[in-house]
Amino acid sequence: MKPIHIKPRTIEILAGIIATAMIVTGIALYAWNEPSRLQQAQAAQLAVDLDGAMTLYAHNCAVCHGAAGEGIGANPALSTPALQTSDPESITKIISRGLYGSAMPAWSLEDGGPLSEYQIDQLVSLIQNGDWQATQERVVNLGLAPLIPFVSEADPEILAGLAALPEGGALATGISLYAENCVACHGADGAGTTLAPALNDPTVRAQSAEALERTLRLGVAGTLMAGWEKALDDEQIAALLELMLRWDEVPGGAIPAPDEPILVTEESLALGSELYTASCANCHGPTGEGSQRAPSLNVRSYLAETPDAALQQIITLGVPETSMPAWGDRLIEAQIQAIVGFIRSWEPTAPEVAQPVRVRGPWWQGSTSAGSSPQLPSGGATTSASPDTAQPTPVGGDLGKHQGSGAGGANSPWVVQELPWYQTLDPRSIALGLGVVFLASLLVLVALRGLRRLNR
Amino acid sequence: MTEESNSGNDSPLNRMRRRLTPPEFPTDDRSRMRMVVDSLILHLHPTKVPRSTLRWTYTWGLGGLSALLVMLLALTGVFLQMNYTPSPPQAYLDVLALRTDTWFGDLLRNLHHWSANLLIVTSVLHLLRVFFTGAHRPPREVNWLLGIGMLLLVVGGNFTGYLLPWDQLAYWAITVGTSILTYIPVIGQPLSGLLLGGPEVGAPTLLTFYSLHISFIPLGILALMSYHFWRVRKDGGLTIPKSASGREEPAPERVTTIPHLVRREVVWAAAWLAILFLWAMLIPAPLEGIADPAVSPNPAKAPWYFLGIQELLLHFHPLVGAVIIPTLGLGALALMPFYDIHTENVGVYFRSYRGRYISLLAVGGALLLTPLWVLLDEYVLDWAAWLPNWPTLLSNGAIPLAIVLLGIFALDEILRRSFRVNTEERVLALFIFLFTALVVLTIIGIFFRGPGMALYWPWEMPALH
Repeated sequence: MKPIHIKPRTIEILAGIIATAMIVTGIALYAWNEPSRLQQAQAAQLAVDLDGAMTLYAHNCAVCHGAAGEGIGANPALSTPALQTSDPESITKIISRGLYGSAMPAWSLEDGGPLSEYQIDQLVSLIQNGDWQATQERVVNLGLAPLIPFVSEADPEILAGLAALPEGGALATGISLYAENCVACHGADGAGTTLAPALNDPTVRAQSAEALERTLRLGVAGTLMAGWEKALDDEQIAALLELMLRWDEVPGGAIPAPDEPILVTEESLALGSELYTASCANCHGPTGEGSQRAPSLNVRSYLAETPDAALQQIITLGVPETSMPAWGDRLIEAQIQAIVGFIRSWEPTAPEVAQPVRVRGPWWQGSTSAGSSPQLPSGGATTSASPDTAQPTPVGGDLGKHQGSGAGGANSPWVVQELPWYQTLDPRSIALGLGVVFLASLLVLVALRGLRRLNR
Repeated sequence: MTEESNSGNDSPLNRMRRRLTPPEFPTDDRSRMRMVVDSLILHLHPTKVPRSTLRWTYTWGLGGLSALLVMLLALTGVFLQMNYTPSPPQAYLDVLALRTDTWFGDLLRNLHHWSANLLIVTSVLHLLRVFFTGAHRPPREVNWLLGIGMLLLVVGGNFTGYLLPWDQLAYWAITVGTSILTYIPVIGQPLSGLLLGGPEVGAPTLLTFYSLHISFIPLGILALMSYHFWRVRKDGGLTIPKSASGREEPAPERVTTIPHLVRREVVWAAAWLAILFLWAMLIPAPLEGIADPAVSPNPAKAPWYFLGIQELLLHFHPLVGAVIIPTLGLGALALMPFYDIHTENVGVYFRSYRGRYISLLAVGGALLLTPLWVLLDEYVLDWAAWLPNWPTLLSNGAIPLAIVLLGIFALDEILRRSFRVNTEERVLALFIFLFTALVVLTIIGIFFRGPGMALYWPWEMPALH
């Protein structure tokens, strides 16, 4: 048999032919698939848009239009077939510019609102194609569900007492109106919420009556504050104005919050701590500092923005598409409330920014959890009732030292819990490190040997 | 014009066929000459080339591949331009529409994206090949400088193109990338203002970057590329490889350009086009949500080819890390052919046997020392805290720079004393050491830096919120 000899030229020409054939068939196949690819891309883009829109909806719209677009009170429902089939242009116009004579403000940046054209387009596509069930879940998970008693009721005794005051009639009317129309955003007793500023405040009273009246009548562009001119008559506006200016005369508790915070006792705190360590600490960290699996809870902004009811909802229902399960299936309401109380107990000492502890346990054990001491809320700082026996213990102060404070502003916000360094290594780190060292040493050794030989 | 084509009884179809098909090979010298002059290929290439320069493993076809990528970028770029408006937020919507509504829109964008990134890699590899074979030395200095100029234009083209999709990735990478500019003393701020058209990346920036991306940069690359090609022939073609012992072949065997060189070029181009098309069909170019100046990702990283410099910023005062070190490096690179002028071993990879071993030593040393130094500086050294009363330009800039430079000089001195290395081999070792260090720093920047620019293992990288 003669040995087969292929010339390099033949290989080159063959390679060229194969490559050309690949390009031609590749483009042909791609073109054949292009219509379905475009369809898939459109569906994927719609999903992305709807996802963004749901978050926007939760932050901006749910408070008036309801978590599932069902409408609240006089605010219209959005989940209607009429809107789904109507002209998207007109919906865009209403969202962008607002609806004169209603509580609907203008939302577009051009008209002084907070939303960009792109975001408004996303909202329109939510209104026309949206899955309102999913939207409701999103609103609940973000802890932004509108308070169920959207309208509060003023304390009748205080109301009667006020009416007896000189010129107290207008004040009492104002309080009733406030409880009906304003409490959802401006909060119990005018203390303010995350949605709107406090009204029971000296800086408000320092404003001129004309300025306040203008705000009441015309609203504030670019905020949720609508103009109430059309919804209320002159007398009612005058009564509300009276309330703004004379709130300091109203006793506390006249307009109770629609949301009652969860009662915390020493027993409930102990139970909450136990349940937290057993069920939550693995992912959220022993003191709520979070981990790579779950976000931190022990952050001031998160705790301040998330009322007890929202925490309870999140724990009960879980968060879809994340690893947060619905604990409502496994725990009873009292247990969940105990966990909420325990999480709430961090609020006074919660750090401003998340300080996830990188608990890097020995690699043969996985992550470890350190013990933590629960803390009862100290009086006044939070919403909850606090027993006198509570002994505040600092949490999170002695976790570890800052590391990685490299030069050039590379200060790491991460706190690394101290473990012997050899326990923090995992097989992949060791393999990578050894690999680099081995390769580099090999190169150096080969080079040195060659150089020595050349030198001889 | 021949008499034949003027004859009236010929059909237009026949005339067209005759004009477009290759003529019979002429027999007289004058017509042969004419044919050579008329050929586009023989305008670019000489009629004969040394056989040894055709070896795949000598040039790796990197220059040709870069030229192919430039052509592909120009072509796909024009089509992308037809579907694009350089103003926010329409720019982002247009890029989305390429994906969802335009036939072949996604393929074009992916091709453009991946070719642009590959072009940076091939340009740098081409530079390395030229340096390793000594092809930058006299008389080819001008082409070396042209090459560096084109490399800068390629990086500029990639950087300006990075912003155009107007997504989060683009917005923040450009914000970080242009902030490096502001560290240049005196002219940094005005330069950044000129480029951005305002205090931060916004609508004017997009328009500026778009204009640069479609006019000056491609025109500049085209002009320099033509000059580069012309100079290759002017400087005597490719360097002719010699055996590593430095012995020159008495008379290099020459073969005709057509088909020997052209066949290889066509095959190489076809192979890379096939790879690029497959790549673009299978791996989509990244696209995140619309740019949002209010929400910055943590960490915010510059485009990948600047992460070596961003990594330097973590270890040095900005003036040193972002200005002095890159300027010194680029300056040294540009001066290379005027310093390294011995031409005996041109065409030999790594100069000599000793050169190869020294190159290995330099790569190994840089692989060992660079990560070590990064770890040391990250966790142990903290000059700014140790010398609180010193200006940070000294404590964080001059001192670490002096230590690093002293370390490099010490290594060089050890090399010089232990082995009989000559100057050009030391330059080679230094170049390879610094280049490897840059590659290691870039890899650390890309894969090992997480939130707060802290060090992480790639598999422990926390997900972005």
